[in-house]
Amino acid sequence: MKTQSYYLDHPNTLRNHLAKSYQIEPPEADSAKSTPPLISPKGQLFAEHENLFTFDGECFRETLPKPAPFVLFGVQSCDLTAIHYQDQFFANDPYYQARRQQALLIGIDCLSPCQQGFCPSVDAGPGVKNETADMILHQLSATSWLLLVCNKKGLNALEGLLLNPANESEFTDRDNRIASCVEQFNDDSYLQQGITAINQNQVPEELWQQLGIQCLSCSGCTNLCPTCSCYGTWERQDSNGDIRRQRFWDSCLYESFQREASQHNPTEEAGERVKRFWTHKFGDNFAQEFGRYGCVGCGRCEQTCPGVVGVHSVMKRIASDAKLDT
Amino acid sequence: MTVQVTPTICPFCGVGCGIDLRTENNKLISVEPQLDHPVSRGQLCTKGWNSAYGIDPINRITHPLIRTAQGFRQASWDEALETIADGLKQILVESGPQATGIISSARATNEDNYAAQKLARAVLKTNNVDHCARICHSPTVAGLSQTLGSGAMTNSAADLLETDLILVFGADPTENHSILGGHIMRAHLEGTKLIVADPRCTRLAKLADSHLQLKLGSNIALLNAMVKTILDNGWQDKKFLDQRCEGLEQLTASVANALEGVEETTGISLPEIESAAKAYSQSKRAMILYGMGITQYVSGTNNVIALSNLALICGQIGREGTGVNPLRGQNNVQGACDMGCLPNVYPGYQKVDNPEARAKFSQYWKTEVPEHPGLTSMGMTKATLAGEFRGLILFGEDPVVTDPDQNLVKRAFSKLDLLVVAELTMTDTARMADVVLPAASFAEKSGTFTNCERRVQHVQQALPPVGEARTDWQWLAAIAQQLGSDQLDWHDSEAVFREITQITPNYSAMNYTKIDQLQGLQWPCNHETPEGTAILHKDTFPIGKARLIPVHPIDIDELADNEYPLLLTTNRLHFHYGCGSMTRKSPLLERETPAGLLFINPADANDLGVTHRSAVGIRSRRGYVETRAMLTDDLPPGLVCMPYHFREAPSNQLTNTAQDPLTKMPELKACAVSVQPLEPGMSPRPIDEISALKVEGVK
Repeated sequence: MKTQSYYLDHPNTLRNHLAKSYQIEPPEADSAKSTPPLISPKGQLFAEHENLFTFDGECFRETLPKPAPFVLFGVQSCDLTAIHYQDQFFANDPYYQARRQQALLIGIDCLSPCQQGFCPSVDAGPGVKNETADMILHQLSATSWLLLVCNKKGLNALEGLLLNPANESEFTDRDNRIASCVEQFNDDSYLQQGITAINQNQVPEELWQQLGIQCLSCSGCTNLCPTCSCYGTWERQDSNGDIRRQRFWDSCLYESFQREASQHNPTEEAGERVKRFWTHKFGDNFAQEFGRYGCVGCGRCEQTCPGVVGVHSVMKRIASDAKLDT
Repeated sequence: MTVQVTPTICPFCGVGCGIDLRTENNKLISVEPQLDHPVSRGQLCTKGWNSAYGIDPINRITHPLIRTAQGFRQASWDEALETIADGLKQILVESGPQATGIISSARATNEDNYAAQKLARAVLKTNNVDHCARICHSPTVAGLSQTLGSGAMTNSAADLLETDLILVFGADPTENHSILGGHIMRAHLEGTKLIVADPRCTRLAKLADSHLQLKLGSNIALLNAMVKTILDNGWQDKKFLDQRCEGLEQLTASVANALEGVEETTGISLPEIESAAKAYSQSKRAMILYGMGITQYVSGTNNVIALSNLALICGQIGREGTGVNPLRGQNNVQGACDMGCLPNVYPGYQKVDNPEARAKFSQYWKTEVPEHPGLTSMGMTKATLAGEFRGLILFGEDPVVTDPDQNLVKRAFSKLDLLVVAELTMTDTARMADVVLPAASFAEKSGTFTNCERRVQHVQQALPPVGEARTDWQWLAAIAQQLGSDQLDWHDSEAVFREITQITPNYSAMNYTKIDQLQGLQWPCNHETPEGTAILHKDTFPIGKARLIPVHPIDIDELADNEYPLLLTTNRLHFHYGCGSMTRKSPLLERETPAGLLFINPADANDLGVTHRSAVGIRSRRGYVETRAMLTDDLPPGLVCMPYHFREAPSNQLTNTAQDPLTKMPELKACAVSVQPLEPGMSPRPIDEISALKVEGVK
């Protein structure tokens, strides 16, 4: 389907229309902003805790979620890129898919850089890519917005809302505005140098060890990272004796994450775990498998890391230490 | 299915991080950090991230329970309250108010704690009210109130990023106060000098510019040597000493020989001491942080005074980025103290033995408050065994497990005529109660917590209480009513807080609206400082001039010998809090370590034939536990270390009961032990199993 475009006076017009048939997340109006929230929408599709099945002593029962249709409204390009990435990872996961099928994604173009973000460097923004959303909001002025409809799902959802079609020229103007936003991002050559150093294995082991001392295994980075998808499972007994198997978000920064039953652990050293995390986010092997890096440039890890091992801090140190090395 | 987000405060340590609770259909689905929180700035530690597991409805007490010959039976609130009131009335008539008392909780809100001491003083008419601050920072209060006039953290968390040097003394903030530990790492990476004084090679010690790895318990020797070096070199702040301190002459005389033999006593070389003394005294702004590695010694109070002496002679206090800063363990231990849940002070540290203060409270509460001095928790235990104390109300504490004198407490509690315990889950203490009341968790109530930088913060209700659980001040009020008193008849937690502000000078200009607007208020907050106070002692000390008090090194009570050749100290893990009752409900945190561990240097392990993760037995003169050995260079040879989170292997079985004479703080940081490997393939036996065998053996 060719992308269609309309004028919109305000995102709330669309929100109010969609609210007739969908649950809207986040529920607050005026949530369409050019800054991604600290918490990505990851948990809306890949729940932090969820039942996988129950067992009553005789029968196993499936516990697939059955959510009503819902809208993720005003999602920034970094988070949409992450959902697109997760769609591949969870392609055969019935729990994820049960939610994903019910979700309508309304993206929003960012027109100014956010504090920690570097989406242009990892090809994840600031403009929303058509294949990652059902509709895209793009602000023209205080009182005028452009609404792009990317697919059939989006078009169907618009049914009943009368909007004026936009001029063809708006596409070019949108591209220009996004390009000018890209130019406003800080110089992040250290990121490119860091990525190169990681893939060429130029990061000194001592640096990984140093970063490992700083890592408190708090799990903040993996909880907030919109592409982190590791989970653990456990069984819980209800008061009636039924057993529930649940899965919960896990974190590869925990020492016990990869510890084997024999107590052998290939990543017992904290530095090894930090190295693995960043290799998974910026490794070329992962890029080949998923078509892109695991990092979408949201910078949340920088914000939430108590140990100063977030993306900017780590990549700056890698860039400087690796340089010293060569 | 709409998700609701309620901003509140993390229930674990005294840092007081901002945490958002995401709920859906009255269930907690996740927790998140608050981006704009003044202390935590979008961060949480692993305990905070796992806090949803801690208040999971599984295992919670949901209804009042009354003890019968056959065990507990469920009861209505009316019946439970009647039973409590009848029991109290009988004791009051027969034995007087001195036979009753309340132990409140450093985990509960200010409102709960205020209600607890008011029930004791205005209704039961006793000053018998206390809480657990006694075994963490009582030496801080005793020491700093003598030297500075106030026992709280002098500066703020934000100062860590506005200072030139941080001296961490006997504290492990990355593990116990992780967000502050993180601020220290950040400051250090940005150029702030970091000095760590600790017998263990902590995480911060590994990153520090200088690690003073002193011998266990040699704090005063090291601190006095630093003071002596500073005075000898003229590095002290003469102007500050002249204008704001007294006692310099005595101090100078007392440290005259402080450098003699100090290398041997502390294990630190003179050049290292000199370098640290110079760096601390010559920095424009230098900040001291300290913890249990100072307080939990027989010399606890003197250790605190020695630290205070160092800060005062250098004038490193009363300005941004300076100060003497005790790191407090519990979310509201500061608040429980502020609210006067101590036998000798009313709210705001107004002294019970001061007739004016007594008159003030009698007038404000419109009832005569008691004159006689109150009992500490230990005092109540002893009075019970002496037959002089009969009725105790206790909440949010598990002294049967956590008190250093476990066996004594158990004996006393079984002798009480009435023991009322309000709790989240069936703790060992609750099992001994006559009446158990279901308490609301932090997510199920409103009120305020005061963090270690004196910041009063708003705790907001996100969930309905589990079952029939009630907020502590509510059931305390219900007991008062049942006793015929309307003293605790408040409409909501805000009304309790309003009363607190009317009678507590440091809180007098606070209210919920302002707390919300300004993201918490740091006391003192009164008509002179309506927006609170970030830094104490700027122009003057509460006692006028600060006091320099000579203190001399005191040996640890129990030294290593042939029979017990290793020294044991205690530590905490990043992953667990206290006795683990909340953190061990997380599958992630519980997976992270064995249920009990002993850290030991590889050289010692090799001598003993102990391998990594193997089972070992540890014996002291007082007890025996089994656990797993973790080989690590973080400990020097001769020193081993255990965390106290695991009820399977409680370090309290081993630790010394020798006490700081002034505060009764036990020497939990040092005792002598022997370590033996268990048979290959054997697992460590939990303490219950070992004790059961011992009883059988006696039979």
